[in-house]
Amino acid sequence: MTQTTTIVPMPRAAWFLNPYLQLVVGGILDATGELLLKHGADAAERIVKSAGDAGGFFGFLVHTPGVSGLLSGWTWLGIISYIVGLLCWLSVLRTLPLTIAFPILTVLHMLVPVGAQFLLHEVVPMKRWVGIAIAAAGILMILKPVAAAEEKL
Amino acid sequence: MKILVISLCIFCQMLLLTGQLFFKHAMAPATGMHSRRHMAKLLTCGIFTNAIYFFIWLGLLEQNPLTKIFPFEGLNPAMMAILAWIVLKERMSLTAFVGLLLVCAGISVVWS
Repeated sequence: MTQTTTIVPMPRAAWFLNPYLQLVVGGILDATGELLLKHGADAAERIVKSAGDAGGFFGFLVHTPGVSGLLSGWTWLGIISYIVGLLCWLSVLRTLPLTIAFPILTVLHMLVPVGAQFLLHEVVPMKRWVGIAIAAAGILMILKPVAAAEEKL
Repeated sequence: MKILVISLCIFCQMLLLTGQLFFKHAMAPATGMHSRRHMAKLLTCGIFTNAIYFFIWLGLLEQNPLTKIFPFEGLNPAMMAILAWIVLKERMSLTAFVGLLLVCAGISVVWS
């Protein structure tokens, strides 16, 4: 039996569906989200200090660690950044194998401490940089075998 | 206090890892395709674990410098390697093992 194949031209995919673009944008949004969250948490600390003994719902917000951060608009920007980043990631998971996607995401995530120093002006002692560098080197070493294992988990 | 912060950081990474596996199974199922209802269930579980993670992490960020808790994010791939070792019974490669030790060493340098 002979098989006839008909070639159906693939429609050109829209540029924003390119998985690598989604991956890079998602990774940057993920790192930005973390920086915004920290900025929001710091801004909220100042609101908490000036609030004193507030009662009611505002009091609950102010006096609950992990919730008081929500008082700052920066935190909400961070949440939006996280959610859009997560949507990008979910879309990437459909098309790219984890062995490629996971290392790229993790490497982009290493922008976080750099951003903390240069954008948030966090004071980072030399010893801490050394620790971060050692941990980062460790992460780079585990990445490939881990991504291969995660595909099977 | 230090012990509490460190334990919470580790717990956060466990939650994140769990969420990550839920998301992965929702979007790229290991065995063929599954129904939309099942996918929605997995996504809900992933979002739920990520939400708990989020509030604890935000609490940690309120009290600690970002660069001090950042190295704990290295535990995410490290725990994934341990999980693969336990669940898949795969031998951990030497590179992965050294990487795992380095992540732990980095964290101890930052927190010592």
